[in-house]
Amino acid sequence: MHNWEELVRQRLAGLDLDAAEKEEVQAEVAAHLEESYEALLKEGVTEPAAVQRALSQVTNWRDLQRRIFIAKRKGHFMKKRVYQLWIPGFLTLILSVVLQMMLQRLGFRVRIVGSGPNAILFYVPWLAGLPFFGALGAYLSSRAGGSRGTMVLASVFPVLALAGAFLLLFPIDVVVKWIIGSKVDSFAIVATTILRDGTGWLLLPGASLLAGGLLGQLLLSRGPSSQHTAIGSETTHA
Amino acid sequence: MIGSGIKRGTAELAVLSVLQDGPLHGYELARRIEQQTNGALRFTLAALYPMLYRMEQQRWIRGSWETSANGRKRRCYRLTPAGKKKLSPLQREWAELFDALQRLTKAAHA
Repeated sequence: MHNWEELVRQRLAGLDLDAAEKEEVQAEVAAHLEESYEALLKEGVTEPAAVQRALSQVTNWRDLQRRIFIAKRKGHFMKKRVYQLWIPGFLTLILSVVLQMMLQRLGFRVRIVGSGPNAILFYVPWLAGLPFFGALGAYLSSRAGGSRGTMVLASVFPVLALAGAFLLLFPIDVVVKWIIGSKVDSFAIVATTILRDGTGWLLLPGASLLAGGLLGQLLLSRGPSSQHTAIGSETTHA
Repeated sequence: MIGSGIKRGTAELAVLSVLQDGPLHGYELARRIEQQTNGALRFTLAALYPMLYRMEQQRWIRGSWETSANGRKRRCYRLTPAGKKKLSPLQREWAELFDALQRLTKAAHA
């Protein structure tokens, strides 16, 4: 009697799944090999030949290990990314935008500090509200099992999205002006605009969101571990 | 040379079609497909399990451990409602493709 379980355990030892899931895969593959082997014996094939033929179904164990890992983890990674980053991040972004719109309706105006090229935009009530959203983003990411890095990304997501839009719009603006023959802004004007808008709309809100996110992380790390919630969702199968 | 997309499509169709008749474990599933296609479709272990796990992630099939009459534990796969939903358009698409290919080959020989 061949010990298929031991053989498969050795060949699939490097399978990077949780212990229970790995054991399940090994048991399933071993059962398949065992059935193939027994069927071959019933057909009258000699034992060494049956072992050889059963094993010939896998020519590259490392490749099988890799393909099983990808198959098992593909949906898992995507699901994790959605719950740990995209949902908390977009919620933080939406709430930040809604708060800004509400403040503008209520009559709070952007304050410009300084004059000329060194003027910096300050939207104080908005900046004061952002730490709450940063903390919320970090909390939701943490609930879904997000790492510290993912929690930070989720909390500062609104400024990342805005920075992306900035980076996209500046070259488009230059190209459009060049096409229509309008005077392209000099480097000094572009640099001043980046400095002013970048500080007012990116750096300060980013710092505000990050402060909330870090505070949220600090409070969460003091409470009962949020990782337990996540582990439960990780082991859920289809 | 058959492209990987076509291979994957036929393999998925085969698995879903066979599971339509009832739950089966991996070895039995591969054996049924081979029998029902007169050996035209054959799944080795290395090809079968990554595909079953992928289809499980897509929630087309669901695997659960069951004990057979001889006391052996086997992971049996069954079709989910999503898998049933996936099967009918897949069958139609493949039938259309084979019809088209048949018409093409008939036209070429005429």
